[in-house]
Amino acid sequence: MFIRMGDMDNVFGAMDLLRNKMDRFLDGFDKSFDYGSGLSFTAGGPRTTLYEEKDAFEIRVEVPGIAKEDLKVNIQGNYLEIMGSRTIDAPEGYKVHRSERGTRSFSRNFTLPDGIDAEKVEAALRDGILYLKLPKSEVAKPKQIAIG
Amino acid sequence: MNQRNEIAKTEENGIKRTGNLKTAIPAVDIYENEDEIILHADMPGVVKEAVSVNVDNGTLSLSGVRTLENKGDPKWEEFGNVEFIRSFSVPQTIDVERVEAELMDGVLKLRLPKSEAAKPRQIEIKTA
Repeated sequence: MFIRMGDMDNVFGAMDLLRNKMDRFLDGFDKSFDYGSGLSFTAGGPRTTLYEEKDAFEIRVEVPGIAKEDLKVNIQGNYLEIMGSRTIDAPEGYKVHRSERGTRSFSRNFTLPDGIDAEKVEAALRDGILYLKLPKSEVAKPKQIAIG
Repeated sequence: MNQRNEIAKTEENGIKRTGNLKTAIPAVDIYENEDEIILHADMPGVVKEAVSVNVDNGTLSLSGVRTLENKGDPKWEEFGNVEFIRSFSVPQTIDVERVEAELMDGVLKLRLPKSEAAKPRQIEIKTA
């Protein structure tokens, strides 16, 4: 079948469009897609991890580059809220090549299991990770029953 | 190729993976002026001893290993032990001897000064 030149152009035009779209789509791929940055990923909060120990829970939150003053932890009943904000101090007079880390604020909320002693919660910030230690109240601790 | 592309290009080959540790790509900010290039990388939980920075033959490789204490029974785990790896092409004009690195609050801050010879110079025009 003979294809007129005009048709050919149409076909290639569409392909160019597709290629441009792909280019733009792939551009995003050499960014940190695998892991995401510390703050900009799923559900808009930093990643957290919860461990349960015998007498306490530990929550760890990734907060790289956030100073102690910019973090806030609130506990109300069994509702835990972690808020923070990061400001990127871009140096003056510099050309920006990449800016992936971003300035943003976040908040993440948790409903704690029963039996947390809110008075004794401890928070520590080390190397860009916030460690929250939530001791269980006496009632919630496992007790060994002696067999009589 | 202009310098912008040179710096922004991420290369596949860099530091070899160590063991079975998962790897992650840290988010970075890169700034440049006439005197230096500044790079900030997010590496939460990485300690100073576990960071290595190499500049070799035009490639800057960053690696930071995060080893967190394992505690109790994980109820959910969105992050764990990981190796942050990323490498960049840097211009040959970087003065390797004077590269400075600093780790604070889980952010690695690098200063890559340009060598004197590479700085732009204004040529004075003499009037005859």
